[in-house]
Amino acid sequence: MTVDLRKDFVNYAKSLNAASEDKNIRTAISRAVTSYRNTVTETLERFPHTPALAEEVQEIKRQSMANLDNLLETAMASVERNKGKAFYAKDHQAALDIALGIIGKGKTVVKGKSMLGEELHLREYLEDNGNEVWETDLGEFILQLRKERPMHILSPSIHVPREQVAEVFTKFFGKVVPPDIAEEVKVVREFLREKYFTADVGISGANVVAADTGAMVIIENEGNVRLATGAPPVHIVMVGVEKLVPTFQEAMKVAEVTWRYAQYGVPGYVNIVSGPSKTGDIEKVTTYGAHGPKEFYVIFVDNGRNEMAHEEKFSQALHCLRCGGCMYECPVFQVTAGHFGHTYMGGIGAIWTAFVSGGLEKAAPLLYSCLRCGRCVERCPMSINVPAMIGELRERVIYGKEQG
Amino acid sequence: MPMVLDVISENIIKHGSPLALKGSEVSSWAKGLDLPAKGEVLFYTGGEYQMLPFIDSLVKTITHLDQGSKVFSMMMGARNILNKTGFSPEKMYASVLAKDKDRYNSVCFKAAKVLKELGYEFCYSGNEELYSGALLYELGYLQDMEDYVKRVVEVIKKSGAKTIVCLSPHAAEVFKFVYPKMVEGFDFEIRTYVDLVWERRDKLAKLQSAESVVIHDSCRLARELGIHQELRDILVSIGADVKEAPMNREWTSCCGGPIKILFPELSHVIGERRVTELKESGSAHILTSCPYCLSALEAGRAKGDSAVVEDLIEFLYRGVKA
Repeated sequence: MTVDLRKDFVNYAKSLNAASEDKNIRTAISRAVTSYRNTVTETLERFPHTPALAEEVQEIKRQSMANLDNLLETAMASVERNKGKAFYAKDHQAALDIALGIIGKGKTVVKGKSMLGEELHLREYLEDNGNEVWETDLGEFILQLRKERPMHILSPSIHVPREQVAEVFTKFFGKVVPPDIAEEVKVVREFLREKYFTADVGISGANVVAADTGAMVIIENEGNVRLATGAPPVHIVMVGVEKLVPTFQEAMKVAEVTWRYAQYGVPGYVNIVSGPSKTGDIEKVTTYGAHGPKEFYVIFVDNGRNEMAHEEKFSQALHCLRCGGCMYECPVFQVTAGHFGHTYMGGIGAIWTAFVSGGLEKAAPLLYSCLRCGRCVERCPMSINVPAMIGELRERVIYGKEQG
Repeated sequence: MPMVLDVISENIIKHGSPLALKGSEVSSWAKGLDLPAKGEVLFYTGGEYQMLPFIDSLVKTITHLDQGSKVFSMMMGARNILNKTGFSPEKMYASVLAKDKDRYNSVCFKAAKVLKELGYEFCYSGNEELYSGALLYELGYLQDMEDYVKRVVEVIKKSGAKTIVCLSPHAAEVFKFVYPKMVEGFDFEIRTYVDLVWERRDKLAKLQSAESVVIHDSCRLARELGIHQELRDILVSIGADVKEAPMNREWTSCCGGPIKILFPELSHVIGERRVTELKESGSAHILTSCPYCLSALEAGRAKGDSAVVEDLIEFLYRGVKA
């Protein structure tokens, strides 16, 4: 490689070492790993059809990625037919520009958890452009106040114990918040409740998108996504194109497999949003913005995904459901959490970093801290062969990108 | 890239050993065994067990140096520098650490003795044996590997063998999955040491008393090669009381070894955690069947910990001697 990455390696190694000595990370992750393994074992026993369904989903994903261009076209047409507005963002900047174009300045925005949002640095961008943006997922809200990045894709603030949460809340709310989890949840509930109903815009991601109906499927437990996407007059969905599948029925299969391996067991809420709120109750005249948003926008973000879909050796990485199971089984992640990552985490995160979030240079230290031990593949409901891809990318690091 | 990667790959390509050890050193264990150079079955060490004490000495050096520093770069370029000034790298390595040398060197000897005892006949390439190149594959030097494997195959072909028996699962992995893609007509039967012992496990000497042991499944052996029940069968057949760790077989936890050279501290933490996990089985006698696992778990054992870490080869050899 032409660039000398030695310094990056040294800094990265230092951050990994520091993380591995962090007692909070270690306690939290070992608790999380045990609980993850128990929940998944238990729910797979309860729903024994899941592994077979996961195999079916692998095939759905494989075909979807092979037909990505068609699916995108169909999905965009479906959104428009539903009286929403569909956009395609080729890259990072285009995605941000489109979002800002819809939102404008001086607005209040409530946002659901989204790894794509992290990839785009969406909140920071909207704030820099004069908007007030609130993360509504509790974990993300804590990190927003602490000015930190997520340490796990599903439990972003996994490394922050209740005492530290109480500390940052006491400071932010200007009143004593005790280190009591129920109390901590309550203050945020009260604070955000007001934001949902005064916000101008709600932003969410989506776990899966059905192209035939234009249905966005969003899985959650807290209920924040319901409120953030239901209360404000405008709802914007920002979603990676890899979430597309052909039909609504298939989307349900993907959703079920996702939540089962994402430790939801049975999720509290599954939101399905296909268009703006409407009513025909008075004289059968369709009127938009009945109780929910009057305007509905979907921004399909590419940002390197299409390139990935066309690379035979890497398209499988797009099958990732972001269930986070692999991270719990990763010996490196178990002691370093999100420090083994750059937006996207763990071994699969190294692959995603190379294609959509930083490129090969940012990915290089991650690629070399993977053990290639292969336990993630055992856990992955999509059987994504991460170690093989890591090997391919190491080859690119050594010889440059055009080789092989 | 960290210079250590280039140095290791260059050593493999130039000297047939990741640490540039000499063939005479790597094969010294075989003295007195009179193994033939030709035969049906080739006994392949790849110099991996023999290399372990040297890796540890390098890692100890790395741990105390900033990887970006000049000192570190010089250390890693030691062979080149020392060549110019007339010192042998072997001397330098030996002076850094040599006390484990006997132990790791004798693993190959013990493996050969156990197989002989079970009635196997095999040959060995001795001084000429070359490292499989598994690290080139691991670290991404695949184009260099394509040239390198030709030389390895030449040495293997000289033996006239049809079957290669690998002590290291890493060698077995590349021979089985990588070589056939790089070398036309690479149609050797690839076996592991564990396979051979398993087939004749009934002939193994029984333990005097039922010792309790716990198996650390190597990732490569358990996941890539699908060998885990065999280890249990072998141990049960000699009368050992096999305990199981919470994560085992295809769910085994990695020993941390693969990142030892670039991230030694982290690798050490992972090794420590695995030793703790293994001890949760109720046995503190840990057996593994991979050179890197052996070395990483040995290093992960806390000071003063009474746990014992051994290679399966070492454990079985005690029965041969008795």
